[in-house]
Amino acid sequence: MPDTSTILEFILIIVKAGAIAMVLFGLPLPLTWLERKIAGHIQVRLGPWRVGPHGLLQPFADMIKLLMKEDIIPYKADKFLFVIAPLLAMVPAFAVFAAIPFGEKVLIPGLDYELTLYLSDMNVGILYILAMSGLGIYGIILGGWASNSKYSLLGGLRSSAQMISYEIAVSFAVIGVVMLSNSLSLLDIVRAQGGNLLHWNFLYLPVGPVWFFIFIIGSTAEINRIPFDLPEDEGTLAAGFHTEYSGMKFAFFMLAEYIAMVTVSVLAVILFFGGWNAPFSIPFPIPPIFWFVGKVAFFIYLFMWVRFTLPRYRYDQLMNIGWKILLPLSLVTVLVTGLMRLYL
Amino acid sequence: MAEDKGSILELIKKVLFTDFVKGLTITLGYNVSRSITHKYPDEEKWVPYRRFRGVHTLNRTEDGRELCVACELCSKACPTQCITVIPMEDDTGRGIADRVAKVWKVDLVRCLYCGYCEDACPTRAVRLSREYELACTDLSCTVRQREELLKPVQVPESFEGGVVAKSEFLRSKRGIKVKVDLSSTRKRPL
Repeated sequence: MPDTSTILEFILIIVKAGAIAMVLFGLPLPLTWLERKIAGHIQVRLGPWRVGPHGLLQPFADMIKLLMKEDIIPYKADKFLFVIAPLLAMVPAFAVFAAIPFGEKVLIPGLDYELTLYLSDMNVGILYILAMSGLGIYGIILGGWASNSKYSLLGGLRSSAQMISYEIAVSFAVIGVVMLSNSLSLLDIVRAQGGNLLHWNFLYLPVGPVWFFIFIIGSTAEINRIPFDLPEDEGTLAAGFHTEYSGMKFAFFMLAEYIAMVTVSVLAVILFFGGWNAPFSIPFPIPPIFWFVGKVAFFIYLFMWVRFTLPRYRYDQLMNIGWKILLPLSLVTVLVTGLMRLYL
Repeated sequence: MAEDKGSILELIKKVLFTDFVKGLTITLGYNVSRSITHKYPDEEKWVPYRRFRGVHTLNRTEDGRELCVACELCSKACPTQCITVIPMEDDTGRGIADRVAKVWKVDLVRCLYCGYCEDACPTRAVRLSREYELACTDLSCTVRQREELLKPVQVPESFEGGVVAKSEFLRSKRGIKVKVDLSSTRKRPL
């Protein structure tokens, strides 16, 4: 018979997991609104405007539309894979958040209880995250394959090729961070960047910025966002891997994509921008979660901003960037980091 | 050598993402700039220039007599035969001559707004106004009769146009209308 504190701990973990899942399910709603609003303003339009004040209820209208839509499974599609693919894309995107810390312990006022702002402090956190986010690609590949349509298949294949070319470079960039902080745990990585701005990995000269740029470019390719959204290239592939999907299945793919964007923003903040550490010391207390959310919000904005700035790369250019520039560069940075750790 | 220097410069530019940053600053500028979208029909409405060809209007003289003499030149000039004019004799001073239109109607779904009727009119009675909200739920509004066309239009011909005017969105049984307030206008940005 386990004692009460263990049971309490167990319930707390379930509650935390539920809360994180709810937030993640809810996040795409404001993010789609934001994306369309930013798209509108960058193109000197207004964006969503008519549904609710400033179009704020637009995501709900979209959600109702997606729920009401006929859920079509193509006649010649592989039914089992076709149905399971959106889930395969979505589940790893959620699972990643099991290892992501949002902050250190906070003291709940009144209850006198210390709440940890993470589900688990895995000692192989970053490895787990890279592996899990890599798994999400299976959903895309299988969805493309099961649709039995040439556009979907090409989209799925492009996605897998893209993942192989960019995942390596991203992992090498992360290896640099791991070498610097001597730990795979994200908590330790953030703790190692404590203090002020200058301790952030981004400013670990000369390799810090290079890590960061490799990471951000590779991640953009991995989460299939412009300028690397080849798997769903509207120009040539109709809608790529989700051409044949409609209704809620399509919504699941979109959900996975938005959560992947949040994941990458969170990772960029944790790995390179000091997580929840303040950039400079401030005389009055500001909760660390403020810094964390602020930095993540900036990166989400950056992804949207870039999306409406750059055109899409051609497929061969994408492969060139991945194999001829990012991969060698990341290997060099690992070497340089090793030498710096040894002799500096 | 000069070429080498150029390529090194290019490389440095590439490494520092200069073009990328340039693009981002441009889009950021647009992101924070004012939108050029007209808030039509809620708050604003575009008032076209005088040359705009919208729904026909029949004019009167300053003392209120109809300019139309029912000469039927407009219906003859019309390439789509959408104007019907039936003349009649009248000596009560309704028109400027003793021949006035008994029926003057135009079928707006047939009309192609070419403006030939305007050109053909010897008395400048028929003009194409700047009214362009023609949507309705049935065919009742597609044929405009003389009585309706003789009413003064929202934007008088003396008004220069080419501006965005404050307006009011009116919803009624007969459909929706956007009423302009010509006293408060602004130039179109860009």
